[in-house]
Amino acid sequence: MDCVTRRLHRLVTAAVVGSFAFSSTVMAGGQLTVLCWEGYADKSFVEPFEAESGCKVNAVYVGTNDEIVSKIMSGSGTADLISPSNDTTMRLVSADAVSPIDESKVPNMANFLPQFERPAWDVKDGKLWGVPYGWGVIRVIADPAVVDPKTDTLGFLWDAKYAGKLSVWDDIETVYTASRYLGFKNTYDLSDEQLEQVKAKLIAMKPNIRKYWFTTGEMGTLMASGEAVGGNSWESTIVQLRADGKKVADLMPKEGRGGWSDSWMIVKGAESNPCVYPFLDYVSSAKAQALAHKVTGFGYPNVKMVDELDEKTRAAYTELGMTDPATLTNVDWWQPVKRRAKYLEIWNQVKAASK
Amino acid sequence: MTAMTTIERPVELKGTSIRSARAIERRRLLLWLVPPLAWFTVFMLIPYATLLYTSLGHVDDMRFIPGLSLDNFVRVFTVDPYLSVILKSARIGLMTAVFSSIVAYPLAFYLAFHVRTQRLKFLIYLLVIVPWWASYLVKAYAWKTILGSGGILNVGMQNLGLVHEPVRLFLYNEFSVDMTLTYIFTPFAVLSIYAQLERVPTSLIEAARNLGADGWMIFRRIILPISVPGVVAGAIITFSLAFGDFVAPVLVGGPDSVMISNVVINLLGVAFDWPMAAAIGLVIITLGLLLISASGWLEEKTQTRF
Repeated sequence: MDCVTRRLHRLVTAAVVGSFAFSSTVMAGGQLTVLCWEGYADKSFVEPFEAESGCKVNAVYVGTNDEIVSKIMSGSGTADLISPSNDTTMRLVSADAVSPIDESKVPNMANFLPQFERPAWDVKDGKLWGVPYGWGVIRVIADPAVVDPKTDTLGFLWDAKYAGKLSVWDDIETVYTASRYLGFKNTYDLSDEQLEQVKAKLIAMKPNIRKYWFTTGEMGTLMASGEAVGGNSWESTIVQLRADGKKVADLMPKEGRGGWSDSWMIVKGAESNPCVYPFLDYVSSAKAQALAHKVTGFGYPNVKMVDELDEKTRAAYTELGMTDPATLTNVDWWQPVKRRAKYLEIWNQVKAASK
Repeated sequence: MTAMTTIERPVELKGTSIRSARAIERRRLLLWLVPPLAWFTVFMLIPYATLLYTSLGHVDDMRFIPGLSLDNFVRVFTVDPYLSVILKSARIGLMTAVFSSIVAYPLAFYLAFHVRTQRLKFLIYLLVIVPWWASYLVKAYAWKTILGSGGILNVGMQNLGLVHEPVRLFLYNEFSVDMTLTYIFTPFAVLSIYAQLERVPTSLIEAARNLGADGWMIFRRIILPISVPGVVAGAIITFSLAFGDFVAPVLVGGPDSVMISNVVINLLGVAFDWPMAAAIGLVIITLGLLLISASGWLEEKTQTRF
C-alpha cells in the first residue's frame, strides 16, 4: 500500500471509529469494548461498574496473547482496552499500538504491591504503559510425603528416584524451567547452543515424566490420585489440593520460578473514551479485585484485596504467600520471546523424543 | 403469403420449441449444478487454495508475509520432529485400524450370519451405535478411570490378589492411546464389515454346503474373500480418524505420545506459525489422497463379482 492509500485508509477508519465513538457518547455513559481473558470482565464485578458509571462494557474473550496482538495489529478488533500478559506487553508498546497510562487517573494503584507499582514489563521511556492486573507464579510443587518439602532446587525433577512420577506443564514454560536450572540468565532469549542444551536436559527429564499436564485441574487430579508426586503448576492446583485435604509442598527453588502478570492497556486512540479511566480505576480497586479473585483464583496486585475476601479464601490466599512481597523476590517474570516458534519447535522435539 | 406462414408456422414452432426445450433443460441442468459447484468451491477449492497460499509465505513478528517459498515443505521433511511425528501418528492410526478390524470382524460376522430375529439384530446394531450418542471426550476420559493407578482395572486386579501394587503400564503411553482410539472408532469398522458381509448370497453358502464344505472352509474360501473390501474400507476410516486425532494423546497419552494434530494446533496457537501449519496440513492431505487412491484400487481389486 502506498502512502496515500494508507492515509486514506486511516482517514476512513478514523471517520468510522469516530462516528461510533460519537454515537456512543451521545448515549448515556458510553461504551467500552474490552479484549480480555475469560473471567476478566465477569458479570459479578462488571455489572456494578456499569450501574455506577453508566458505561456499557462489551467483552470479547481471547484465548491467546497472539490473538490480542493480531487483532490489534490488523485493526480487525476495535477495542478500547486489552489485557495481554507480560510476555506480550512490550511488544505492543514497541509496535506503537497502545497509549501510556496517566497514573493520576488511576488512584487505586496507590495500594498495589511494590512489585506491581511500575513493573519492568509495563515501563518504557519512563512512562507506564499498563495497569497490572491478574498475576501468578509458576509453582514448583511436590507431595511432602515423598519429596522433602525443604527441597530448594529444581534438581529433584531429574532425580532418578522419581522415575515416572512427575508431571510438568505441556508449555514452553517448561523450556524456561530447564533453562533456569542450567543457570542461563537469558531464559527468554536463548542462543541455538543453549536451546540444544535445554533440549537435552528436558529429554533427560523424560524418564521421570508420567504425563505432561494440559490443565491445572488435570495436574491436581494427577497429584491427588498419586499418579504424580511433583512437578510444576499454577496456584489453583495447590488451592484445589489443599481444599480436598491433601498436603502439598510449595517449593522455593533457588534457581527461581516463572511468573506471569497481565496488564490492562489502552489501545492507541481509546484514551479519549470517557469510560476507559473509570474502568481502569474500578478494576484496580480492592473490592473489584476480590470479586475477580472469586472468579479466576488468580493473584491481584491491590494489597487491600485480601480484606475483602471471605475467611476461607483469605486463608488459602495468604498461605500461598500472595500478599507477601518476599514471595516475589525470586521470580523470573515472563518476557517477550522473539524466537518463540523456535522454542516451541524445541518443545515439540522434546515431546516427540522417546524416553 | 399469409397462407404460407400459416402452414410453415407450426413446423417452425416445433423446431424452436425443441431447441428451447433443450436450452431450458441445459439451463436447468446448470441450475442443478450450481449447488454442488458452489459447495465444492466454497468448502473445497477456496480453503485448499488459501492453505496453499498460506503455506508458501512466512510469519515475521506476528505478521504474515506472503511469498512463494517452499521452505516450509522442506522443513516438514528435514527438521525434527515433524516427519517423525507424522510417522508416529501413522503408526497409531495403523494400530487402531488393525485392532478395530480384529474386534469388529467377529461381531459383524455374528450380526450377519448368526442373528436370526430382526429384533435382536436391531438391538445389537443399536448397541454398536449407542456409544456415539455420548460425547467423544467423555468416552476418552472414561478410559482414564478404567486404566489409571486407582482405576477399575488396577483395583480389581489388586482385590483379586493378582498384583500387589498398581500396574502403571496401562495408562499414559502409546498403548492407552491405541486402546482408546480403537474403542472409539470400532463402530465404523463394524458397520463397514457388516455391510459387506450382508452381501454374501446365502445361495453360495448353501451350494458349498451341498458340495460337502465344512464351516471353516466356507469361511476361508467364500466369506473371507468377499469381506475383504469391507475390512479395507473400515480400516481406512478408522486409520484416518485415528491419524488425525488430538484428544486421546492429550488425555491418555504419555510424555511421548504427541501426534501431528497436536503439533499443528501448537503451531497455530502458541507459535502463531500458520504457514508451517498449513504446509503440514497439505503434506497430510496429499498423503491422505495417496492412501485413498491406493485403497480404492485395493478395494476394486479384491471386490468379488457375482
